[in-house]
Amino acid sequence: MFEQLKELITNYVEADPDSITMDSRFIEDLSFNSYDFMSLLGELEDTLGVQMDEQEVVKLSTVGDAVKYLESIKK
Amino acid sequence: MDRSNVKTLQDLVRLAAEEYGDKAYLKEKGAPGEIIETSFKTFFENAKRVTAFLASLGEEKIHAAVIGTTSSAYLTAYFGTVLGGNVTVPLDAQLACDDICDLLERADVNVFFYDSRYLPMLPQIKSVCTKIKHYISLQQTDEGQCLSAVLSSNEPANLPEVSADMLASIVYTSGTTGKAKGVMLTHGNFIDNTFCADNESSPEDTLLTVLPVHHVYCFACDILLSLRYGATVCVNDSMMRIAQNLKLFSPTIILLVPMIAETIYKQISAVSKAKGIPPAAAAKAIFGGRLKGIYSGGAYLSPELIHAYLDIGIPIAQGYGMTECSPRISTASLDDISDKGDVGRIVNGCTVKIVDGEIRVKSPSVMQGYYHNPEATAEALTEDGWLCTGDLGYVEDNRIFITGRKKNLIILSNGENVSPEELENRFASVSLAADVLVYAEEAVITAEIYPDPDEAAALSKEELISRIKEIIDKINLTLPSAKAIRRIRLREKEFDKTTSKKIKRNQTEHGELI
Repeated sequence: MFEQLKELITNYVEADPDSITMDSRFIEDLSFNSYDFMSLLGELEDTLGVQMDEQEVVKLSTVGDAVKYLESIKK
Repeated sequence: MDRSNVKTLQDLVRLAAEEYGDKAYLKEKGAPGEIIETSFKTFFENAKRVTAFLASLGEEKIHAAVIGTTSSAYLTAYFGTVLGGNVTVPLDAQLACDDICDLLERADVNVFFYDSRYLPMLPQIKSVCTKIKHYISLQQTDEGQCLSAVLSSNEPANLPEVSADMLASIVYTSGTTGKAKGVMLTHGNFIDNTFCADNESSPEDTLLTVLPVHHVYCFACDILLSLRYGATVCVNDSMMRIAQNLKLFSPTIILLVPMIAETIYKQISAVSKAKGIPPAAAAKAIFGGRLKGIYSGGAYLSPELIHAYLDIGIPIAQGYGMTECSPRISTASLDDISDKGDVGRIVNGCTVKIVDGEIRVKSPSVMQGYYHNPEATAEALTEDGWLCTGDLGYVEDNRIFITGRKKNLIILSNGENVSPEELENRFASVSLAADVLVYAEEAVITAEIYPDPDEAAALSKEELISRIKEIIDKINLTLPSAKAIRRIRLREKEFDKTTSKKIKRNQTEHGELI
């Protein structure tokens, strides 16, 4: 999941994939804006075939948060 | 639609129902795989049922707040209110509950239409906002009243006479003093702006509405213009799903703010690279294949992005306006894209003059003032009716060029207006922060903090940084995500101040990033 997310992240922001860690914060560290972030989540919905809850996703701050959330809804 | 027959929002909805009848006005997702259509005619009938319901409440004057995302239910509640000569108060669904209560109180709201997602806030709202007598959920609900029951239990009303000078809506906008101000817009204001340009759309058009509907820009340009032209409005059900909904609805026109236009452009580049296809082909696939062009507003769109879109065959027309002007002051058409850095041509019926570098506007679209705020009204409107926009700029060949802001409003590229004072005021009770300056740095909201020297001296640097981050996290919890403070700078030196001890907004030195 982490590797898949890393690959998608580099479509939205100019980041060296090796510099992305589970602690990287989307907005503060990776320079995502709010729409980049929402679009990334939409792309993940498509790729993984899951349905996300908008009230929940706004709480995701780090890559690790997103990985944890995605794994929880994929089950 | 013949302009001479349209004086009020009531005329606009009625004539749209007469002229476009059974054609789909709204399309939205229902159960998985289902698209629900509402025709112009049905929309008018349903709105009139809400009007009948509101008339039956026995209230002398109704101020109905509407809170939620775009949906036929939201719009039916909105138009049902204004068709009967009552006043809507559209609210930002992302606000914290305390702020919502404050606005409901200040706008004298007595009827509340709400999206059931905000149900957890209801107990607090009910205890604070005692003027609200009626709560109606926009979705079906087991507890209390809901819109579907209102529609099934009321016949369409015989509409009362409504005039152009009647107040239709109080729309809250960020004020420079930190407190949101209620912009009073009449039926005549909205109608003037709906007809201030021509040949923008047609019944063959399909729009995907992605912006928040409580913003006048979205309401006027997606919702009202589609009533005028007979276009179909498709509802984007989530900011996460713009890409999916572009494919699903294949819009011909889309209204964006620069931030979304940038994000979509990045997706086009990524698809083009990944699939090894030209960007124009990638754009066609992403936008669903029928797109004629994009209208952009709310914030400044760079000429580079205009060129980038033009290179892939998509015209992107930039306009300029503000809530106080319902909102359009200037607009561009898709067949007249300018790359000169201007924000479009001044719309019909609007006069612009420049006073001390500031853009001032006079037009039938200009608001009546700020609700219960004569001081702010006197600041914004001159005695002879000119609206002081607070924007600096000039006019050349009927095109407006913006050069800066007179006031301290931060305008983010998603079109959100953020008052730095509003955020600075949140630190008032934080003793550790002696002085705070909020500004936008690379489009990111930044708080620069000079800590109280005594309190800071008792802490190690790590402790100080961690305390400040905790404070910011707490403040961010009370803010809509677009207004959250995302960058912090810590100063060791006091801020440069004016002789009256106010912090100068243009500091030459900045603190370190933490």
